[in-house]
Amino acid sequence: MTVSGDLSKLSAVALAAALRERKVSSEEATAATLERLAAAHELTHCVIAMEKEEALAAARTADKALAAGAARGALAGVPLAHKDMFDRAGKIASWGAKIRADKPAAADATVIARLKDAGSVYAAALHLTEFAFGPTGHNYVLGHARNPWDPARITGGSSAGTAAAVAYGAIPAGLGSDTAGSLRVPAACCGVASIKPTWSRVSRAGGMPLAPCLDTVGFIARHVEDLALLLGTVAGADPRDPATSHLPVPDYMARLDDPVRGLKIGVDAALIGDAHPDVQKLVDATLAVFAKIGLERRACTFAGWQTIDHLTQLAQLPEAASEHYHYLRSRPGDYGPQVRARLEAAHFVPGVDHLTAKRARGTILKRTLDSVFKDCDVAILPVLPDPLPTIAELDVAGSPSVAALLGRFIRFTRAINYLGLPTVVLPTPRSGGLPNGVQIIGRPFSEARLLAIGKAYQREVPPEIAQRLQ
Amino acid sequence: MASPSTSTQPDATGAPASYLDLPAERRAAYQSHTALLCKTAAEIARELPLQADETDFARVLTEEARP
Repeated sequence: MTVSGDLSKLSAVALAAALRERKVSSEEATAATLERLAAAHELTHCVIAMEKEEALAAARTADKALAAGAARGALAGVPLAHKDMFDRAGKIASWGAKIRADKPAAADATVIARLKDAGSVYAAALHLTEFAFGPTGHNYVLGHARNPWDPARITGGSSAGTAAAVAYGAIPAGLGSDTAGSLRVPAACCGVASIKPTWSRVSRAGGMPLAPCLDTVGFIARHVEDLALLLGTVAGADPRDPATSHLPVPDYMARLDDPVRGLKIGVDAALIGDAHPDVQKLVDATLAVFAKIGLERRACTFAGWQTIDHLTQLAQLPEAASEHYHYLRSRPGDYGPQVRARLEAAHFVPGVDHLTAKRARGTILKRTLDSVFKDCDVAILPVLPDPLPTIAELDVAGSPSVAALLGRFIRFTRAINYLGLPTVVLPTPRSGGLPNGVQIIGRPFSEARLLAIGKAYQREVPPEIAQRLQ
Repeated sequence: MASPSTSTQPDATGAPASYLDLPAERRAAYQSHTALLCKTAAEIARELPLQADETDFARVLTEEARP
């Protein structure tokens, strides 16, 4: 194996196997990852902090454990990099902002601790939209992220750096979060996969809160098998996040090859019809692949989609404003214009409407499940409403039109957070063009089924490393 | 964008976000967007059972789980 070349194509699952079999050392793999992250950063601005010496030291420790047969974790020696919004003991996460926590974290975030327990090496902290509050990858404080397929185009956000680094082939996978589309949008923009689990499946303890009633931690990866391995590593109840579900965590890896033939996929033609005609064609192309692997198409309706989108905003905005109440008063000039404008707007939602949106959530979820999934096992929606935009096209900063413009951009993703449902994003067949993606939505806690569909899809549409098109 | 106040004192006016010292046109734009959202909340409130509770959501997620 040539270390820096071939490793970039491997999944985390395959790299972990190569490390266990001593075909490559963790130090070699980590050095190659750091080299590729630096190259990816030059093109995409995906890195916030490289942790070279600490990563190489951790890799050497992993190599010793692997050589002694003492490494038990499924990710032993595998270098990863993550969105810079999760606590790590002794470190200050940037949150993609000028304003950040004012002292180093006392402990690792639960997801960081569980990934570390599984043996992974932390190589770098990755770019995100300021405070994870923006779906495009623009960051008016730290600089905008750029898409590895075409650096004039957006990465999507807020998990911008993770998506760019994964698509570039610098890392196989990394952590992100999703409050209104922040895993799904960048995955679609960069042509990679992601999983946004059911709300409460993964602990948010030690992660930067944006709107806790919607915040969901998940992963971006090229290979669906990595989403399964990583989700299984971090999912499950956590006393530090009392909202986490106590339902047992399935063995997602063991279920990857569950049969998918005969599953029914719901298509809301009217809702999908709101997307640009080119995006509708990409959804059709993806459905053709699903038909080939045996999924049966059914009509479905996401009733009241616009209503649900409004309720999502009513639930989200006051929570975000409350999280930032102190800093907005004390350091308003340290905010970028877009986040500040959105937080200002958030102050205008009356408490009674916020609480009504939250009280209605269970009723709306039940109603949606009863209608969408009455005759379907899963449903499909686009992620982006339009073909991949340029950075300049969506450079709206703090314009008064920001709510409307960004609202259109996340019109297929934000409502899903209100419903709390799991989704897997898969890149659409590219046919030489720019990347895009679809989201496959399931019933609560049906991640194993979604991942099995994703794995079957990738047998027909294999993962790609970004090739610069422009 | 106007430079907001950096006051850490409680608001005296009672108007939303008065401490942010927003220009009138920006305040009007935010109020207009929020009014649209609040109309939706009013419609939902009409049909929502009195017993509906914030905790219903996690309960429904669990009851409807299909692992």
